[in-house]
Amino acid sequence: MDFIKGIFNVIADPRLYFFLMVLSLVFMVWKREVFISKAVGYGVLIFLTLFFALGGLDPNFQLIITKPDNVPIVGLIFLLVFFTWYSMREAVLNDQRIAKGDGPIEKAESDRVWVWPDLVYTELISLILCSVVLIVWSILLKAPLEQPANRAVTPNPSKAPWYFLGLQEMLVYFDPWLAGVVLPGLIIAGLIAIPYIDKNPKGNGYYTFVERKVEITLFLFGFVILWSSLIVLGTFLRGPNWNFFGPFEYWDTHKLEALTNVDLSEYFWVRMLGGGLPSNYVVRELPGILLCLIYVAVLPPLLAKRGFKTYYDKLGAPRFYVTVFLFLMMMSLPIKMLLRWIFNLKYIVAIPEIFFNI
Amino acid sequence: MAEKKAVGHAYNIDFLNVVFAASSIFLFVSTIWMVWDDFDREWKNTQRRFTQLELEVTNAQLAQTQKSPERAKLPALQQQLAAAEKAMEANRQRIDEINGQLSDVDARLYRVNKSAQFAKATYDVNRYAFEAARTANPEGVGERQKEIEAEAQRLNELNLEVQKVEAERAALQAELGKFTSEVGRLQKELTQINFEQTRLQRVVANIEPSLVKDYFRNAPLLDFMAPTLTVRQVVTPNVVDDVNFARVAKMDRCTTCHLAIDRRGYEKYPQPFRTHPNLQAYVGSDSPHPLATTGCTVCHQGLGGSTGFNDASHYPSNPKQREEWEEKYHWHEPHMWDYPMLPTNMTEASCQQCHRQEVYVPQAPRLNVAYATYERAGCYACHKTKGFENLRKPGPILTKISGKLTQDWVKNWVRDPYAIKNVTWMPKVWYNSNTNSPADHPRNEAEINAAVAYLFANSETYTPAVASPPRGNPKAGEQIVRSIGCLGCHIVDENDRAAAGPRRTFGQPLKSVGSKTTYTWLYNWVRDPKHYNPATYMPDLRLTDAQVADVATYLTTLTGSAGTAAPVTPTQAQVDAVLLDYLRNLMPLAEAQGRLAKMDTTAKQLDLGQRVIARYGCFSCHDIKGFETTQPIGVDLSEEGSKLVTRLDFAFVDIPHSKLEWFHQKLKDPRSFDQGRVLEPLEKLRMPDFRFNAVENERLQTAIMSFQREVQPASALPPRTAMRDFTVNGRALVRRQNCVGCHEIEGDGGDYKTLVADASLAPPLLTPEGAKVQPDWLYAFLQGPITIRPWLDVRMPTFGLDDRRWNGIINYFQATGRSTEQFRTYDHQQLTQMAAPGRELFELLQCQKCHVLGAIRPDQDRASLAPDLRMAHERLKPEWVLDWLRNPSRIQPGTRMPQFWPTPPYPKSSFPQLGGDADTQIRAIRDYLYTFRGGPSPRRGAGAAQSTN
Repeated sequence: MDFIKGIFNVIADPRLYFFLMVLSLVFMVWKREVFISKAVGYGVLIFLTLFFALGGLDPNFQLIITKPDNVPIVGLIFLLVFFTWYSMREAVLNDQRIAKGDGPIEKAESDRVWVWPDLVYTELISLILCSVVLIVWSILLKAPLEQPANRAVTPNPSKAPWYFLGLQEMLVYFDPWLAGVVLPGLIIAGLIAIPYIDKNPKGNGYYTFVERKVEITLFLFGFVILWSSLIVLGTFLRGPNWNFFGPFEYWDTHKLEALTNVDLSEYFWVRMLGGGLPSNYVVRELPGILLCLIYVAVLPPLLAKRGFKTYYDKLGAPRFYVTVFLFLMMMSLPIKMLLRWIFNLKYIVAIPEIFFNI
Repeated sequence: MAEKKAVGHAYNIDFLNVVFAASSIFLFVSTIWMVWDDFDREWKNTQRRFTQLELEVTNAQLAQTQKSPERAKLPALQQQLAAAEKAMEANRQRIDEINGQLSDVDARLYRVNKSAQFAKATYDVNRYAFEAARTANPEGVGERQKEIEAEAQRLNELNLEVQKVEAERAALQAELGKFTSEVGRLQKELTQINFEQTRLQRVVANIEPSLVKDYFRNAPLLDFMAPTLTVRQVVTPNVVDDVNFARVAKMDRCTTCHLAIDRRGYEKYPQPFRTHPNLQAYVGSDSPHPLATTGCTVCHQGLGGSTGFNDASHYPSNPKQREEWEEKYHWHEPHMWDYPMLPTNMTEASCQQCHRQEVYVPQAPRLNVAYATYERAGCYACHKTKGFENLRKPGPILTKISGKLTQDWVKNWVRDPYAIKNVTWMPKVWYNSNTNSPADHPRNEAEINAAVAYLFANSETYTPAVASPPRGNPKAGEQIVRSIGCLGCHIVDENDRAAAGPRRTFGQPLKSVGSKTTYTWLYNWVRDPKHYNPATYMPDLRLTDAQVADVATYLTTLTGSAGTAAPVTPTQAQVDAVLLDYLRNLMPLAEAQGRLAKMDTTAKQLDLGQRVIARYGCFSCHDIKGFETTQPIGVDLSEEGSKLVTRLDFAFVDIPHSKLEWFHQKLKDPRSFDQGRVLEPLEKLRMPDFRFNAVENERLQTAIMSFQREVQPASALPPRTAMRDFTVNGRALVRRQNCVGCHEIEGDGGDYKTLVADASLAPPLLTPEGAKVQPDWLYAFLQGPITIRPWLDVRMPTFGLDDRRWNGIINYFQATGRSTEQFRTYDHQQLTQMAAPGRELFELLQCQKCHVLGAIRPDQDRASLAPDLRMAHERLKPEWVLDWLRNPSRIQPGTRMPQFWPTPPYPKSSFPQLGGDADTQIRAIRDYLYTFRGGPSPRRGAGAAQSTN
């Protein structure tokens, strides 16, 4: 048992964890016929149930999953997996119908919706059941109150509400102004922009994957991987001092993390050129600044010419540049994560003199 | 299903009906569950159980009232009542007539009263309107003025009418009274006898189970109106909780369950229904800490606002209770509140919340012994602590060490003091749990050798006053040591430091002292301690040189173990390595090596010695040359009791994460938090091991828990007055000089009592001292004590304190004696007015049977001697002598002085003299006493020892 727990503890390392999540996304998209099979569906369900049921026997894991704050996240894992599987299943089945020339199943169904009694009745039942769930929940799970707040003692770990834990995870890689202001702002702006930049009518009112491959994959990457799985990571795997802990590991406050990260400027000036850091910070950070400029200003036109040329043609210049900008911003997180993990890169641009770091 | 869908349904409606029915049932059940969950509270059951208990207790009390001796009068009274009623019957016709008239008059009175009241109300309104109108327009109110006057007139008439009817009624009642007064008187008497019974019956009726109360007023959802089960709380505006961002009045709901805490009669019931064990001091409404203004949690700590057992942060007093609670209440280490309840045996730690920095708090024996232990162990020397500043260094001076000890002995001593003297307060610095492995031995020895070498190299030369003293008789010396009072501060036979207590171990335990130092040193020390150490607390016992020789010879016979020998001898390379460790912590390695290379062996050892002493803080307790101004090394403990558990490092020690557990572990094995860690030698913990046993450990935990952040506002503290300052400072002073080792003061101390056959042979009680003696005499006496009680073996030493401290002590005695005017002039003419009749009484009462007048007479029994009365006129306060004669045992319980004027017949006397008036007789005796002259006086020869016994 300890061996199995050990494996999970190792897998749960943020690097492996992120890698495995991406891998499962790739599998899900690439081998979607296999993924949507009931065998895989039940398999995942049984695996998750067993994992939480048996894992719950471990005192450390039990402490984490039964914390009233964390119980919704356990529910979230089941629901997220189910709905991802279900929608992919509907999409693939539709794709098969479309391939055969039958059109999506939704088109075959009548347009009529029975308001009375079907809709109203089911709504009423849903209302009642939701009330039952909320009442029982409020009885069984006590409000997670703590001792009076003390400015001299910060709770350790200090965790954001569960729905912001993905954002908090970004703080490991970016400065607060980016992770807490710019990137969340862009998420909201991007979500608002979607209806205006996506004028493709396909997939409207029916499930499909083949017709919207890129869009769905991008969405899954952004929502399931970058948002939801980072919430799960932040809830279950981040302990005191925001250190990483395996699910079956004791949250020891004394655990240390070696701080050996370096900035890009050091890579360039010290390691590559073998000199010291220039005293002028603009000169010192020039490589990083150039790199960032290239990323946001040079890369999009290049992509318009090559790589994403079909999209450029389809969307037109304004829509294309907005889309590519949002896409690049989204990708900046995994890029920064990879750079950190592979090269111990702390900041691409680091100007502590004016509190500006990227 | 398919059929139904075909006629236009997306779902099977029959199935939906079933789902709807089932989910409605779920909702119904969960709603009931929710209401029940909200209704079902731990404290309600507790209150229900208490109601039963209260019923039992009240019924028992009710049964008790039946047995009251008063009730014997009942039958006779009832008979009288029956007779009186019969007599009243004879006039029944007239009585009925008057009653009829009375009811008419009452009705009339009611009517006129009402009219008068209404007239007054209308008049008030109109008068105000008139006043306002007249102020606005003085001219145009002629008409209204008339109206107002008429109205006032009418009101007067009505009032007169009321008075008339009232008089009529009074006349009727007086007439009725003629017939009924006897019955009324008897009925009143009966009610009085039955008063307690009636009261208790009413209580029972109130708490008895009833349908309305139990099933209606306390029913779920209805219990918001007027429930009998309610949360009870005490809000204390002057006593606050610190919630970090604000201080808020405490709201203690403890009495929701501890319902009988302030009621007598529940002493023997289990918690939570037990009466507070000390209602006189706490909780009781006439106590200095009443429940309504003090609350509970300022002393007990815990979360007062909570009504759940665990949420209130109860804390078990011992492991057994912990187990019981875990089983009964699912108790767990509280984490919702930073200041969980103190275990009951440590509650006194909270006295400091308001009695700040008082070393002695009356009626807090555990806290007082905790502080005494804290001081005696010298904790304050390394750990700065508020209230313990500027005290002497607790250990002996080491600036003249070479004149007293040998290097070998000192090495063995510091290696393991307990091997030589198991009761010493000297802690073990080396060979502790983190420096005990064989690999540590060379380093330990190198450090010990170096530190000792430093001490001896920096020692002044000590020239004894008597270079080669004569030997004495050890038997006689032992006799002196055991009788003269040495044992007030020194222990000889005891093997348990905690049992001997901090007062008896105030001075070095004398065990093994013979193998420690030389005869010459001991002789000189006993002869004049201040010669070796001018600042020593050791007083001068005024021994003759022959007695000194006897005592010193006896002390040399107190030999013991030579201690533990060094397990290894460090090589020079090892010594160098140790010194290099110290140096490279301060400077770059190359520089350190360079400095090391320049030193010869001696220089290396002395340099290392200095650094070792600095690292372990030896100088905190001992005077060491070169460390006169060095700051102590320990953590400041002034607010340690408020420290949050998150601030304590439990490292790899497997104990529950609570403050008390941490303190316990730290005191038990100060180095244990190094356990399992990889550390450089100089990174290791360095608090030495004092071998505190469980009792001392708990005392020190109590002391530490009392060191709290100052949270309570000034309004919660005892008011400051000069008297109080004298008292508080004096209490500290008599403890810091260990006066309480021999004398009992304010009910504390006087340990010497246990060493003498009879309490009368112990040093005198000093509580009444301030009321008793004249301050100028006391000042002279303290500076140069004289023999007051020649029959005592134990004697008052000459302390040689400075005036500041003598004044502090005298002020303290005056304050405890409630004696505000210190220095007074007495008119001796007036004081000795009645000396002649006094003399007669003096002889009649045979005062001289015990009291000495000059020489002890052959017919006086030595076992019951009393002080020489010739001292009275300059020693005693005249008004105190009166108090004393009137009732000696009230001033000094257990005294052998008889009470000649017992309470009955006082103020009459059983002696016929002076008109048989007790107070006059007492005064006469006092006056006679003040005629005596020629007794011993401390004032003659100013300060020099007068006579010794």
